Amino acid sequence: MTDKTTQNNTAATLEVEDLHKSFGDLEVLKGVSMTAREGDVVSIVGSSGSGKSTFLRCINLLELPTSGVIRLSGEEVKFKGTGLNRVPSDKKQVARLRSQLGMVFQSFNLWQHMNVLQNVMEGQVQVLGVPKAEARERAEAILERVGLYDKRDQYPAFLSGGQQQRAAIARAVAMEPKVMLFDEPTSALDPELVGEVLKVIRGLAEEGRTMILVTHEMRFARDVSSEVVYLHEGRVEERGAPEDIFTNPSSERFASFIQTTY
Amino acid sequence: MENALELLALSPPGWGGNLLRGLWSTFQIALGAYILGLALGLFGAFGKIYGGPVLRGVLTTYTTVIRAVPELVLILLLYYLGTDLLNMALTSMGFERTDISGLWAGIYVIGFVQGAYSTEVLRGAFQAVPFGQIEAARAIGMSAFKSHWRIILPAMIPFALPGLANLWLIATKETALLAVVGFSELALETKQAAGITKAYFMFYVAAAALYLMLSLVSTGVFSLVERRFRRGQPTQS
Repeated sequence: MTDKTTQNNTAATLEVEDLHKSFGDLEVLKGVSMTAREGDVVSIVGSSGSGKSTFLRCINLLELPTSGVIRLSGEEVKFKGTGLNRVPSDKKQVARLRSQLGMVFQSFNLWQHMNVLQNVMEGQVQVLGVPKAEARERAEAILERVGLYDKRDQYPAFLSGGQQQRAAIARAVAMEPKVMLFDEPTSALDPELVGEVLKVIRGLAEEGRTMILVTHEMRFARDVSSEVVYLHEGRVEERGAPEDIFTNPSSERFASFIQTTY
Repeated sequence: MENALELLALSPPGWGGNLLRGLWSTFQIALGAYILGLALGLFGAFGKIYGGPVLRGVLTTYTTVIRAVPELVLILLLYYLGTDLLNMALTSMGFERTDISGLWAGIYVIGFVQGAYSTEVLRGAFQAVPFGQIEAARAIGMSAFKSHWRIILPAMIPFALPGLANLWLIATKETALLAVVGFSELALETKQAAGITKAYFMFYVAAAALYLMLSLVSTGVFSLVERRFRRGQPTQS
């Protein structure tokens, strides 16, 4: 975190420009832009319905933006068609970019028919083509780091929520992604399990990983982020370095939002 | 009682050998038809899920008609229609008429019927897979083929197995209907043995015991398979 400011002149790892997303007649995102340079931790906050999860899911195309530009390391996602008929034109590009965007879901989404180790090896072997022995070694090292080495032979259904989420983070980290995307990673957890997951995420942030984090944990967002983006009704209402906007918010909505949630 | 055991002896003048040969034919047809049905069912299920309006229409007609008409009627229809069509095709191409072997005709006819039920079982299993499992496969960068092969199909199996086990048991018993087109599986062998010896009760009880044995063994095999594929799920006890 110490070198955040010195990296401001490096090229952007992830750029999103003027993203719009509609579901039928309902416009959920009304032009959201964001830039993350290498090592940035951008937290996206806002009340439910603000579009923050949809925004995150647009980045790896789990939702298709109706307009706007997405660039990963300078490579722009190719689309054809317009509006609700706009779809990516190059499936191979989509798969490749997704493999470089490590996604962590609110509800973990570990593959139930595989044990923890297999979950962490699967993407490496099947998507990146890493030899099994090497994938296993890497998976075991990562599981060790998230404190799940002893649980590597367990199936996800036999683990606690906190353990499942740490395994899901390990699965994403194993892909060595350029950017990690966290979609409310602690919202489905019992309060006493939130800490162990936040600790792992904080560790990743301190390693200098580039991350986009959708969260309700305001204290945590303030601690780990290089930038906080506050969304309201599909627009950016406030953004900036946490030490600035938390102490001196320019938007009244954000001021009252942090008063009620923080 | 001695008389009965003599009648069931494995070599003539006993009829036991005929019954066992019949059982073996029954098993072969059921297995072939089941595999053909699964292949049709997999195609049918994914066709219904991903297909365009034409393919979906064809598949809906297939599953609706097959499941509405009694199996006996279907077997007569498909058997005579199938052999007629094949011979028409052969003669029009200048080949000799042929008799299709009863075994293959049986597999084709029952397999075609099984396919309609398998389609629905597998379609239901697909829809039972939590969407998050599929999203996680997409998000990690798997191609459509890989996400189906590595994630969706294995995740479907636990949901499909109870229905598929039922279909297998139905397949073994449906083979008895092939007796009407003269194929000597267990039911027809039993009928002949009973008719000639007049020992109706004994032979039909013997046949029933053989069917029961087949289904007991099958149930055991399926519960082993199910236990293996449910190893990731906590058991409710």
